[in-house]
Amino acid sequence: MPDLAKRLQNVQISPSAAMTAKAREMRARGINVISLANGEPDFATPRHAIDAAYQAALSGDTKYPPQGGTPALKAAIARKFKRDNNLDYGPDEIIVGNGGKQVIFNAFMATVDPGDEVVIPSPFWVSYADMAKVAGGVPVTVSCPQNNGFKPRPEDLEAAITPRTKWVMLNFPGNPTGAVPSRTELAALGEVLVRHPHVWIMSDDMYEHLLYDGHRFSTIAEVTPALKARTLTVNGCSKTYAMTGWRIGFGGGPAQLIRGLFNMQGQATAGVSTVGQAAAAAALDGPQGLVEEHRAIYEQRRDLVVQMLNAAPGITCHRPEGAFYVFPNLAGCLGKTSKGGRKIETDTDFVAALLEEKHVACVQGAAYGLSPHMRVSYATDTASITEACGRIQEFCHELS
Amino acid sequence: MKLIADRLDRISPSLTIAMTSKARALKASGKDVIGLAAGEPDFDTPQNVKDAAIAAIQRGETRYTDVAGTPELRKAVAARFRQDHGIDYKPEEILIATGGKQVIFDAFLATIQAGDEVIIPTPCWVSYPDIVQLAEGTPVFVRGDENHGFKLRAEQLEAAITPKTKWFLLNNPSNPTGAAYSAAELKALTDVLMRHPDIWIFTDDIYNKLAYDGFRPATVLEVEPRLRDRTVTMNGCSKAYAMTGWRIGYAGAPAHLIKQMDKLQSQSTSNTSSISQAAAVEALNGPQESIEVMKVAYKRRRDMVVEMLNAAPGLRCHKPEGAFYVFPSMQACIGKTSKGGRKISNDEAFCLALLEEEGVACVHGEAFMYPGYFRISYATSDEQLKDACTRIQRFCQGLH
Repeated sequence: MPDLAKRLQNVQISPSAAMTAKAREMRARGINVISLANGEPDFATPRHAIDAAYQAALSGDTKYPPQGGTPALKAAIARKFKRDNNLDYGPDEIIVGNGGKQVIFNAFMATVDPGDEVVIPSPFWVSYADMAKVAGGVPVTVSCPQNNGFKPRPEDLEAAITPRTKWVMLNFPGNPTGAVPSRTELAALGEVLVRHPHVWIMSDDMYEHLLYDGHRFSTIAEVTPALKARTLTVNGCSKTYAMTGWRIGFGGGPAQLIRGLFNMQGQATAGVSTVGQAAAAAALDGPQGLVEEHRAIYEQRRDLVVQMLNAAPGITCHRPEGAFYVFPNLAGCLGKTSKGGRKIETDTDFVAALLEEKHVACVQGAAYGLSPHMRVSYATDTASITEACGRIQEFCHELS
Repeated sequence: MKLIADRLDRISPSLTIAMTSKARALKASGKDVIGLAAGEPDFDTPQNVKDAAIAAIQRGETRYTDVAGTPELRKAVAARFRQDHGIDYKPEEILIATGGKQVIFDAFLATIQAGDEVIIPTPCWVSYPDIVQLAEGTPVFVRGDENHGFKLRAEQLEAAITPKTKWFLLNNPSNPTGAAYSAAELKALTDVLMRHPDIWIFTDDIYNKLAYDGFRPATVLEVEPRLRDRTVTMNGCSKAYAMTGWRIGYAGAPAHLIKQMDKLQSQSTSNTSSISQAAAVEALNGPQESIEVMKVAYKRRRDMVVEMLNAAPGLRCHKPEGAFYVFPSMQACIGKTSKGGRKISNDEAFCLALLEEEGVACVHGEAFMYPGYFRISYATSDEQLKDACTRIQRFCQGLH
């Protein structure tokens, strides 16, 4: 038998995708599963984006797209970066990928040689580490303590950077914690990075518009302009415009780096669906009122989830500034036994028992590099959230 | 700081870029340029397919799907494989990707270790060797002779196999020649492969719906089912259904390989567009008449182009079985000078002079690892083709 490459041996399938698939499979068997595992808005894609997609399909805009994105979408992205982030990117400094994930994947594949280090504040979106590994890189995590609101401290970042560091990842609001540093805190991280000119910076701003309690968004290339020449600013339409299925992510960065991403994408998938690109341009340029409407709803849900989880015995839940996740601590539940007789030694045990006995799907903190926690997504309707949190409370009450 | 990873440095810059940018510049300057360089159907996506996409958007199918594709599309792909080729694939043996290109990328990155060899018959699509090199493999080129219809002979394949051979990659019908293998021709190759149990087989069947004069391109597994546990059968919607911009490719392969490809895809792009997947279900399950309509036009065009090119002094054009390309030899023109005073030293000089002097854009053979020839795509209107071939005849008559 022919064999497989070692490249993927240490790479795992995305755990939230695995949990989502498991929940979908249980649902197909007729079980009433509520999934809080998805990082996906429950809202519908805005009407004007849908209309633009219709028009594109009907008018025959169904031919091979330019590999790096259509000129119309790139222009809309340039306007977005200027409007929201006060960043100027020209057409050769922008690339459109199949989701933000591909932009990040391309960036690593285009730049990381075996042994290069990628510094990732932890807890973190696991795919960062897996993508770095596919490229032969070594993920180096920087622990972000809960008592600092899950945000990285400048001295910890400084200590993690070595001569082999190729990239530093920044993701605010962060998946899975929802943490958002203030502008001053971000500038302090920028000061560290300015001292290390050999390091590339990736700012994954996918959750930019989901901020609460009056927090304002800032991104590193804007806060520390000296870093712009070696920063890749990643964003997309999935979370802001409820367009996960359309697969539209994009990046802004120096032309030479964008060229590398472009070359990589040319060999992996070529361009992105033309219909999706037409929808994305309309979403970026169109009325932004829905974004604020959704944000306000998410804020109410966050408050609901935090309050209900904190009422569950054994769980303490930090209240995050952004995104649509909370990342409660489960320390008070460990060592106990569930009603169904399952021993809860780890967060993985907790989410497995919760799924089996109460049919609520969450993702264990171990998958994000911090235990004993779990990630709860509140990107689902309020009734389901209330029902799911009620089941979690019940599950915790029954622990003995 | 070193920007680009070694893996990208291994990829050769595209040989077609000079030609396409020149064509674009000429067009922009107002010159009447006929493009015969693009590898995509000139037909529009069938209306029933567009309608299915629009209906999917209206049903709210704008969310993440399973990374490997929706159950509906995997089922439709399985049904197509069964109906068209008598191959039975289970859902877990099927993967949906962002274009056929991503299937190749996923399969090679999942299996190729540094130094592994991939046997590629030439002339070949440029991306094959590039993706092999990106995965740190070594392309091994085996020349398909023109007097054998550009097809590989069994003894050539046998001679190319070494202990380092990881894959045999077949494109049937072929880009750029249109050459296609009958069941008997293919059996001679699979007999060789049966003797070498450690080799994976990749069959790129993306053009297999497009063959003329009653010719039926065979695929590996219908000829030799015993190769099933080490064959990837790739196909897609781009060529058969004029859906290049929708980005839908798919593969059938043994479950353990699909699992690895799924894993890589989960970390690089996730699912391909949910809307495009819905469109693809309709393309595969719906009425297939649009293919017949396109085939009638392609056959008529092929016959005209072959006849007109063979009437041009210095050109020799083999009549291929399928796809929408012809690959004429221009070797008899080498050493001559064009009317405009350009020296025709090779196939690239020929194509550049043809573009400058007659405004016809083709791709030179060197770009397909096969100098002395050039590729013409006849996926354009009859009038345009006639005009272009007349210009080519005039250009060749002017050579001295």
